[in-house]
Amino acid sequence: MATVTINNVWKYYGDTPAVRDLNIECTDGSFVSILGPSGCGKSSTMRMIAGLEHISAGEILFDGARINDLPPKDRDVAMVFENYALYPHKSVFENIANPLRLRGMDAARIKERVESATKLLEIDHLLNRRPQELSGGQKQRVAIGRAIVREPKLFLFDEPIAHLDAKLRAHMRGEIKHLQRALGTTMIYVTHDQLEALSMADMIAVMHDGELQQWGTPREVFNHPVNAWVAGFVGEPAMNFLSAELRQDGGAVQLAHPDFAIPLLPAQAALLTGEVRTVRMGVRPDALSIDTVAPEGPSIRGNIYVTELLGGDMLVDVQLTGARIRVKTGTEFAGQAGDTCFMTVNREKWHIFDMETGNAWF
Amino acid sequence: MASRDVVQYRSPLTTAFKVFSVIFLTLYLIWTLLPIFVMFVSSFKDLLEAFSIPEVGDWAGATVFFEFTPTVTHYVSLFRDGNFGTYMANSLIAAGGSALIAVIFGSMAAYSLSRVEFRGKKDLFFWIISTRMAPVVAVMVPLYAIFRSLDLVGTLPGLILAYTTFNLPFAIWILKGFFDNVPYSIEEAQMVDGSTRFQAFLSILPLVAPGIGAFVVLCILFAWNDFLFAAIIGSGGAKTLPVATRELVQPQNIQWGAIMAAGVVTTLPMMMLGLVIRKYLVTGLTMGAVKE
Repeated sequence: MATVTINNVWKYYGDTPAVRDLNIECTDGSFVSILGPSGCGKSSTMRMIAGLEHISAGEILFDGARINDLPPKDRDVAMVFENYALYPHKSVFENIANPLRLRGMDAARIKERVESATKLLEIDHLLNRRPQELSGGQKQRVAIGRAIVREPKLFLFDEPIAHLDAKLRAHMRGEIKHLQRALGTTMIYVTHDQLEALSMADMIAVMHDGELQQWGTPREVFNHPVNAWVAGFVGEPAMNFLSAELRQDGGAVQLAHPDFAIPLLPAQAALLTGEVRTVRMGVRPDALSIDTVAPEGPSIRGNIYVTELLGGDMLVDVQLTGARIRVKTGTEFAGQAGDTCFMTVNREKWHIFDMETGNAWF
Repeated sequence: MASRDVVQYRSPLTTAFKVFSVIFLTLYLIWTLLPIFVMFVSSFKDLLEAFSIPEVGDWAGATVFFEFTPTVTHYVSLFRDGNFGTYMANSLIAAGGSALIAVIFGSMAAYSLSRVEFRGKKDLFFWIISTRMAPVVAVMVPLYAIFRSLDLVGTLPGLILAYTTFNLPFAIWILKGFFDNVPYSIEEAQMVDGSTRFQAFLSILPLVAPGIGAFVVLCILFAWNDFLFAAIIGSGGAKTLPVATRELVQPQNIQWGAIMAAGVVTTLPMMMLGLVIRKYLVTGLTMGAVKE
C-alpha cells in the first residue's frame, strides 16, 4: 500500500509533449481513475508510474520516495494490461504464479497464494487451461489474478475491461471495485469510459491533450465540471451546449437565447465577474424536463426532432433555433416528431462556461 | 464461420488446366525423385548390378533395375576404411555449432532491432541483410586470407565461424519479423512482474519458437549441404561429408558404389530432420505464427 505523488511530470515523445506538468496525489488505499479520450496522455502516465517509460521531467514518489530511476521490477507495482498480456505458452496457474516465482518464493506458498487468489476471482477450476482456451472475461480475471497474487504496493489497471462485452463490463466494474475495497491496495485505473470512472473511483483525474483538466471526486466532476470540455466528456448522454447572452434585467441577470430568456439564480449571478456577454450554457439531458403544454414560468420552446425509446427512459431531440438539444424523460412522454414542446431547466444543475476559455463560471 | 475453400466453377479451360497440371506434376515427380531412387538402390548393389541397364526401347527390361542381391559392403567400407564416421561428426558439429551460435546472437540482435529505437537502425538492418547479397564465391579469397592468418583454416572452429558469418545475418533477418509480432505488453508484464529486461527477453523466446525452429533448420541445411566453405576453409582437418564424397572421385577410380552410399548418408539425416520439423518449417516460414 502506498501514497503515490506525481509532481510536475512531463512526458515528451520527441518534441511532442504527451503529458504536461501533471500533478496528482493518490492517498493510501484510494481508487484513482485517470479518465480521458485516447491520446490524452493517460496511458503514458500509467506507464511512467510502472516504469515502462522514462519520465521526461518531474518526479513520481511512492510514500515520499522518488522512484524515477527504479526499474519496473523494483517498484513493487502490479499492472493489468488492456490486452491482458498473458503468457500464451503457460497455464493459468503458471501465469498467476509467475511474479511469485520471479521473487523466488517456495512452491508450497506459491500454490497457496495462487489458490486463494483464483478462488477470490472464481477461476480456480481453470488452473490447467492455457490462455487461448479462455473467454475474454476469464482471461481478464487471470490477468487480475496475476496482479493481486503478489500483494503489491500499488495496482495499475490499464483499461482492463475495455474489450469485454457490455454486460460483462458492467459486472466486472462491481467486481473490481469490491476487490479493491477488500484488498485495500491503492489503485490507479486508466479508462476512456467515463461511466467506469464515475462508478468505481474515489477520485478522478480527467485528462485532455496531456493536461490535467480536473481532479475531484466523481460527484464533483459530474456536478461541477471545471470547464466545458470536462462537462461534455463526462456524462451520458452528453451535456447540451447552447450559445446564449447574459442580460441585465432589473436586479436579476437573464440568460437570453432566441428561444428563451431565463433568469439566473441570485447565487449564480453573484459568481459572474467582469464584462460577460456571450457565454456557453450547458445543461445535462436529465436536468431538463419536457412537456407538450407550456408550463408556468420561463421555459424553452422548440420542436420535437426525434424521440428514442431506451427501455426505461426516453430521449427526445428537440430542434431550437440553430441548435438541437437532447432531453431525457420518462417513457410516458407522448410527444411526436414535429410537435411543439416546452422544456424547463433545473437551474440548480445548469452551467455557464466562458466562450473563449471554456472555464466554468458555475 | 465462412468456408475457407476457394469456390471454383468448371469450364473447359479449368478442365484442360487440371489435366495439364496432373501431367506436369507427374513428370516433375519423376524428374526429381528418380535420381534419389537410383542413388538409394545403387548404394545397395554391387558394381556389376548397378551398371546393368536395359536396351533403349526395351520397357519390359526395366525390371532389371530391381533384380539384385542387397549388399551393405559400400556402407561398411565407407565407415570402416573411409573414416566417414569422423566426417559425419565434422558435418554435424559444423552445422549444429554454427546454427547454435547464430541462433543465440541472432535472437538477441533481432530482439534489439525489433524493440529498441536508435539512430541509424534502418541502415544497420540493411547493412546486416546486405552481407548476404554478395555470392559466397566473391568473398572466398579474402575470407581465406583472413582465416589463414588466424590459423583457422582446416579447423572445425574455423568452419563454424565461416558458416556463422553467413547464417547470422539470415538469423537476424528472419527472427526480427517474429519478434515484431510478439506484443510488447507480454514482456512489459514480465518486467512489472519482477523480471529484468534480459529475463523478459528469455520469457518471450517460446513465442518465437516457430521462427527459431525454422531458422535452425535452414541454417543446418545450409551448412550441411555446403561444399565451397568445407572444401576451402575446412580442407584437411575439418573434412565434411560433401567434401569426403567428392574425394571418392579419383582420376583412376570412380568408386560409384561408395559415392552412392555416401550420398545416402549425406541426404538421409536432412530428410529425416525435414520430416520431423516439417510443421515448424511451414508455420515458421509463413511468419506471423505467433498469436496473442
